[in-house]
Amino acid sequence: MSNSKLCWPTPNGRPGLVPTLVLLVSSLLLAISAPAVELDLGRIVSAVPRMLAFAGNLLVLPDGEYLPTLIKNILQTIEMTFLATSIALVISLPLGVLAAKNTSPHPAVFHATRNLLSLMRALPELVWALVFVSAVGLGPLPGIMALSFVTVGFMGKFFAESIEVVDQRQVEGVVAQGASWLQLRTFAHFPQAFPDFVGTVMYVLDHNLRAAAILGLVGAGGIGYDLVMAMRMFDYDRLLPIALSIYIVVTLLDRASDHFRMRMI
Amino acid sequence: MSEQIIKRPALPKKPFNPTPLWLSGWLALIWLIIVDLELSFETLLYGVQDIFEYFSRYSRPNFENISRYVELLGQTLATALWGSTLAIVVAVLLAPFAARNLSPNAVTYRIARELLNFMRAMPDLLLALIFVAALGLGPLPGALALGVHTAGFLGKFFAESLERVDSGIYEAVTATGASRVQLVMYAGWPSIQREALGYMLYIFDRNVRMAAVLGLVGAGGIGLALHDTLRMFNYDQSAALIVVILVTILSIDYLSTWLRGKLN
Amino acid sequence: MATIIIKDIVKRYDYGFEALKGVSAEIAAGSFTVILGPSGAGKSTLLRTINGLETPTAGTIQIGEQTVTQDNLREVRSQVGMVFQHFNLVDRLSVMTNVLTGRLSHRSWLGSLLYLFRRTDLDLAHDALIRVGLTDKAWNRADRLSGGQQQRVGIARALAQQPRVILADEPVASLDPVASEEIMGLLREICTRDGITVVVNLHQVELAKRFADRIIGLNDGLVVYDGPASGLDRATLSRIYSRNGDQVDEQLETMLAYA
Repeated sequence: MSNSKLCWPTPNGRPGLVPTLVLLVSSLLLAISAPAVELDLGRIVSAVPRMLAFAGNLLVLPDGEYLPTLIKNILQTIEMTFLATSIALVISLPLGVLAAKNTSPHPAVFHATRNLLSLMRALPELVWALVFVSAVGLGPLPGIMALSFVTVGFMGKFFAESIEVVDQRQVEGVVAQGASWLQLRTFAHFPQAFPDFVGTVMYVLDHNLRAAAILGLVGAGGIGYDLVMAMRMFDYDRLLPIALSIYIVVTLLDRASDHFRMRMI
Repeated sequence: MSEQIIKRPALPKKPFNPTPLWLSGWLALIWLIIVDLELSFETLLYGVQDIFEYFSRYSRPNFENISRYVELLGQTLATALWGSTLAIVVAVLLAPFAARNLSPNAVTYRIARELLNFMRAMPDLLLALIFVAALGLGPLPGALALGVHTAGFLGKFFAESLERVDSGIYEAVTATGASRVQLVMYAGWPSIQREALGYMLYIFDRNVRMAAVLGLVGAGGIGLALHDTLRMFNYDQSAALIVVILVTILSIDYLSTWLRGKLN
Repeated sequence: MATIIIKDIVKRYDYGFEALKGVSAEIAAGSFTVILGPSGAGKSTLLRTINGLETPTAGTIQIGEQTVTQDNLREVRSQVGMVFQHFNLVDRLSVMTNVLTGRLSHRSWLGSLLYLFRRTDLDLAHDALIRVGLTDKAWNRADRLSGGQQQRVGIARALAQQPRVILADEPVASLDPVASEEIMGLLREICTRDGITVVVNLHQVELAKRFADRIIGLNDGLVVYDGPASGLDRATLSRIYSRNGDQVDEQLETMLAYA
């Protein structure tokens, strides 16, 4: 029967309705939006030699005099990440409790906190960095403010979600001892959600490091400023070391966080 | 009743509790960073005093250029859509190689993993800068940058989900004599269908946010307009732009949360 | 040490199910009472209304001189220890900390935030661990213990409260026969030696007969038997375990034969 007709494993042998619809709608959307992104295959192809030339240009001896500054700015980026994440952690914990369905004191508080958190994380760090730079001036301070602000939005939500999935039976075990509202949170909810909390913090650190690396674009501190300047001035002898050091730091943190999460469970 | 002599068994030695040590180390580190970054609380307090006045400048959004904003917004959404699609295609192709249990051999596994790591480690704005230099200004380099960066994320998520699938399912399909591609198509993807859809929505969500700022490096969208109005201290129009971006992102956020809820 | 007076308790859930249809009983101070009945009879609900984990739709509970209301729950619970079927220990905390949660109602909010306790609390917890024979496991994580050991920690936690009443909701349902025997013996000993009023939910007739002073048989939300363990004859048992009134199914026959 090798010549029999091909068909799909559906009752009538034709493709299913849902997959067809999804495929149709997404192709339609992509087609409609293609002009808006100025999609042009020719342009991409013609850019390939330029990309290669650019890659070739990168392979120059690094600017030795710049290295101390590079290290200083990378360190600043890491410091900003760490500080912003720490500030956000302290603010997110109580907000997370208020934003979890099972620990919030009142449904109104729950909804208010949830909406506040989604408002805080709606805009990317860079937008807030722009705003804070024009409010408090250049430097790492507006960067840290922007990072902390957005991070609270994310971390608070993640914390709330971890608290919502704790085992209710373990909580009841502590309720029956006559524990107070706060004691329940510290002795029943937090210990259970702790591994998730650690995972969240590591994930957020990871994200914030990447974000901090580009905040310099708008003058909010970190390595980003040097990066943009090197790019604009065609300082190829600085560009590669900068990109490389960002890559190394991000990768190291990534590995460290994977390792940490494994150990935590 | 005979007299009972109860010898009180002592508790075993209490194991060392490292928490206070961790905590003080953390605080010390924060203090060092504050000193090193020369952050002064006076500046902060000073800034906070002014900040309310500063934010009040945004209280009168001016929507007279709304039609242009909508157009830019359309471009932003299109950039996010194309970027996400590119990411999905690349991730779907790479993920099976980056999953330990599906990769043909250790070498391809390592290569795929490192490739995904590299794509992830490059911040998307940096990629956008590079692509703008190569392709010229416009949304296209933005979409490419988003695509490459988030392909790294999606690929990793997919690979990890594929690794978590019950090995019995793979064994059962392998036992029918299926090829490796068939194994991926009939045991791998169907098992993680829901998770994968959730990740895709999440990535699209994230790309919309990022697409809104790509304009800062000349990669199209609404970000450039915001940058310009802020530079010119045009608070009324900045406020309008922020409102437009905020409303869009929030509605997409709610939409994708709703969709993810439906998936489960 | 405290009499429990249960008066006309009715519990109707929001989705319409009526778990208790007017239950009354007076449980004497220092006695060992077993509530017996098939699953779904309302045993758990009844026990949980005593310390306010469930709020009754109608009726009152009185422990000692105190009537249980929504406003004095913490006070009531601090005097009533509870032991659960699934132990309900906080998995990631050490055995010691779990036992110390029995002291929480005596601690301030600030101390609890920092996990600080008084020396006297530690001594009480230590004593409780000695009673259940688990001092050597004090610093282990709770989820590293076997089921029987976890239930002993659960009892130690209740003891650390210095309660007047201990409620045990199917305390041996998740345990093997040897551990069950141990746990029931421990509860009985606590009742006899410390004079603590103990109320236990069980579905094993045999255990109930051996340990209880008094048995309350519950079926379909109503008390169908209330008396000494010796009064549990075949007819009574079939009344306790019957479904839909009079029908006695085959499984029941086997069960009664075993009893």
